[in-house]
Amino acid sequence: MTDAKKDYDFHKESHTERMVINMGPSHPATHGTVKFLVTLDGETIEDIDVEIGYLHRAFEKECENQQWSGVFPYTDRLDYTASVLNNIGYALAVEKLIGLKTPERCDYIRTIIGEMARMSGHYTNLGAGALELGALSAFIYFVEARELVWDLLESVCGARLTHNYVRIGGLISELPDGFGLGVAKAFKKNRELWSDFDKLLTKNRIFLDRMRDVGGISAEKAIEWGFTGPCLRACGVPFDVRKAEPYLIYDQLDFEIPLGSTGDNFDRYLVRMEEINQSMRIVEQCLEKMPEGPINVDDPNWRQPSKDESSKKIESLIFHFKAVIEGQKVPAGEVYQPIEGANGEVGFYVVSNGGGKPYKCRCRPPSFALTSAMPQLVTGSMLADLIPTFDMINLIGGECDR
Amino acid sequence: MAITFKKVDRNAKLTLWEASYVPEILRGMSITMRHFLTNMAGLVMELAGGRKHRKIMTLYYPEEDPVIPPSYRGRPALVRRSDGLEKCVACGLCEVICPPHCISIVGAERENGERYPLTYTLDGSRCIFCGLCEEACPKEAIIMSHDWKNLCEYDRSKMIYSKEQLLYPERNLVRRLEAIRGRYFGIKRYKNN
Amino acid sequence: MITLPDLVETVVKIAFILGLTIGFYAPIIGWIERKQSAVMQDRIGGNRAAILGFTVIGLFHSLADAIKLIFKEDFVPRGAETALHRLAPVISVVPALIAFAVIPFGGTYNLWGHETRLVIADLDVGVLYVFAIASLATYGVVIAGWASNNNWSLLGALRAAAQMFSYEVAMGLTIIGLVMFYQSLSLVEIVDKQENFYHWGIIWHFPAFILFLTCAIAENKRIPFDTPEAESELVAGYFTEYSGMKFIMFWTAEFLEIVTISALCVTLFFGGHQIPFVTVSGLIDFLGFLGPNGANAAAMLIGVAVFIIKLTLLIMLQMSIRWTLPRFRYDQVMKLGWKMILPASLIWIFLVGAGILTGVMPAV
Repeated sequence: MTDAKKDYDFHKESHTERMVINMGPSHPATHGTVKFLVTLDGETIEDIDVEIGYLHRAFEKECENQQWSGVFPYTDRLDYTASVLNNIGYALAVEKLIGLKTPERCDYIRTIIGEMARMSGHYTNLGAGALELGALSAFIYFVEARELVWDLLESVCGARLTHNYVRIGGLISELPDGFGLGVAKAFKKNRELWSDFDKLLTKNRIFLDRMRDVGGISAEKAIEWGFTGPCLRACGVPFDVRKAEPYLIYDQLDFEIPLGSTGDNFDRYLVRMEEINQSMRIVEQCLEKMPEGPINVDDPNWRQPSKDESSKKIESLIFHFKAVIEGQKVPAGEVYQPIEGANGEVGFYVVSNGGGKPYKCRCRPPSFALTSAMPQLVTGSMLADLIPTFDMINLIGGECDR
Repeated sequence: MAITFKKVDRNAKLTLWEASYVPEILRGMSITMRHFLTNMAGLVMELAGGRKHRKIMTLYYPEEDPVIPPSYRGRPALVRRSDGLEKCVACGLCEVICPPHCISIVGAERENGERYPLTYTLDGSRCIFCGLCEEACPKEAIIMSHDWKNLCEYDRSKMIYSKEQLLYPERNLVRRLEAIRGRYFGIKRYKNN
Repeated sequence: MITLPDLVETVVKIAFILGLTIGFYAPIIGWIERKQSAVMQDRIGGNRAAILGFTVIGLFHSLADAIKLIFKEDFVPRGAETALHRLAPVISVVPALIAFAVIPFGGTYNLWGHETRLVIADLDVGVLYVFAIASLATYGVVIAGWASNNNWSLLGALRAAAQMFSYEVAMGLTIIGLVMFYQSLSLVEIVDKQENFYHWGIIWHFPAFILFLTCAIAENKRIPFDTPEAESELVAGYFTEYSGMKFIMFWTAEFLEIVTISALCVTLFFGGHQIPFVTVSGLIDFLGFLGPNGANAAAMLIGVAVFIIKLTLLIMLQMSIRWTLPRFRYDQVMKLGWKMILPASLIWIFLVGAGILTGVMPAV
């Protein structure tokens, strides 16, 4: 090779320029409102800059101005595809701070509702992933399945998206009549739709080529970047909060946690698909084993009086007034409680100074850590690879930006 | 009883037949065609017979309404007693607990000493339908009704509901009232479905 | 020397084709696309547009779309090449229309002593003409993308240019085997030779049909090959900056191309207007009780109807492909074209040649 040839710089000689494009904040692929500043060399991503914060609404500051029980509606709006899980996380954190033990039936119902929320989160993510790769029918099948889950959640919680179902020391209401039957019916249809989705995509070569060996990350790097949840398990790291630090009744249940091996998009997809199945299994087990009993702690400090009680007994009424106006007093201290959210470890770090309002309520959002690794995942790959990678990372704006 | 880890199957090797795109495309099309044909059959049967054979999930919305479960939280409503007056005693608990602070009450007293809200304003554009007001209310005076239609306006000022707009006769809210009376330590509990 | 009856005949045929494509198929495909996808996906599909309370299962939605888009603002972005921006939709819609000129939509019928051939132009090189015209469509796309002064459009146009040029090569090669088999480049002759059901293209050239359909869909830039307009990557690709009437023209071009592709497939592989096991003369004889002119006219109507039915079925096949599959990545599209379809069609040409030489394939 001559010197002249060695010094030949293609970009210099061909007078090409890098193309800088703004992907987002309102771009079809950036659901959840995020902006990518992508530098392209042809179709290859040279550099990418992720800008988040478009959905910032001061969750943490807002919590400091709410009573302990008033935070629940705000936690709904973190990961809005699986909102009950956030409710549960916050409730568990506050209960840990108080040292409250919820009744067993409450734990069972929380597990059931939480797993259903996880299903809905995964349905949304996988469906949107399929949609963005152009497989619209597959997307609609999962939306249909999610709709069935939402119907069940609506019959329990009273809302389809922002459930606001869990309370400190219990739940707002019992499961409705015929819930078990409804679950059996909905899950039968869900399994059908799941298998349709699976057959449409999992072995389809077009889909495989788009997903496999794209957006991969090694297990060490994933841990360094703070990955949790399905994205970490896709790398083959056996970490799941449900097993590592069992909460609720997970240690009494029998289920499998899927693990990937290479950490690429296809592994993330498979892990999530399998988790939907396992969640269905968990719900069915819980419904079978669920004991009878109260769903709230029998402690007037923490549960709200029922309507009958508060309208008939004056002591109860006065206590209720005090609790609502001053807020329930949580003993001073600080605590961190992680749970396994749909996206990874959702943790609430709660500080109390003994007052009726949280002194500090910090949420550890899983998708923040995942999104920060985006440049690592996509630099050097093609523009079209950004789409499945970003999808499987599953940025939920409400959770990431808070 | 254990939580175990399991490797997912990456079906890393496609056979040459599978790698030729055709079989998987045909399989995918057979699935969508199956949906197409069963749904078509349902639609045709519905047109022909009038019976509800439709296999389709979606609703013809204005003609068909979704089923609203008793626990549903719709637009907040003030309960009107049978004598036409509001149940609310203007204690202000809902005003305190409301997370987005959308309720404001001016209380007053009737000649017979009963407290009542002179004005009760609920800003529908701020309400997040969380139902905490209903939980806090000791008098069952504010209830999340099952009213979910016509909640949107082109003008936000039209979404500020006055007391008159919020008042509902009690008989329209019976289903919801029963549902919330069963809450916490209410009538309905300890039952396995 | 062109005679008056010939002129009338040609004008009527052109009017019929224009009516069939722009007047009938363009709106109907919009409707099929909506409704078929909806029913495939457990939905109902658009059914609200009504005239005097009649919705006709959503057929008026295409009309509503057209009216809405015609009255929309005709937007030209700042810095765009105005003249080219306006010209591009026209360049893409015209080839889709005129490709239809050589496609026979019926046989030869003797009406009132006038020999009527149901094709606008019976070219000796009909196949080549179609490919030549189809390659013009690329210019519309590339010009649209370049003239829009938008990065997304430019990327879409670049992808479209590469993809369409590559697949033209492959598409041409997939047909060579067929041309060898029928020993003609004239579409009319190819259809005539398919009078015998056992000589239909689909029976002897099934692999070529699959390859051709793949290339044709890629030419038309529909899922799974819609990288130039991939909405999740490039917003809308080359027509990001188009609105109103110009946007309709792009869509019409796409819909017309679906019709053209289906018509080509029908002509090359499914015997055009031919009914299996029934010859045209046999059909005319069978309808003899209507008198000579009546029999010919009835046979003509049946022929056209058969053609349209086949066309519609193929359109529905393309729709179900479009609503089932995910989309390729840009480099995978190119790889598929150059590394799989091109060699495969070469192999097929070789096999057809061997088949004809050894007498495995019948001489037609």
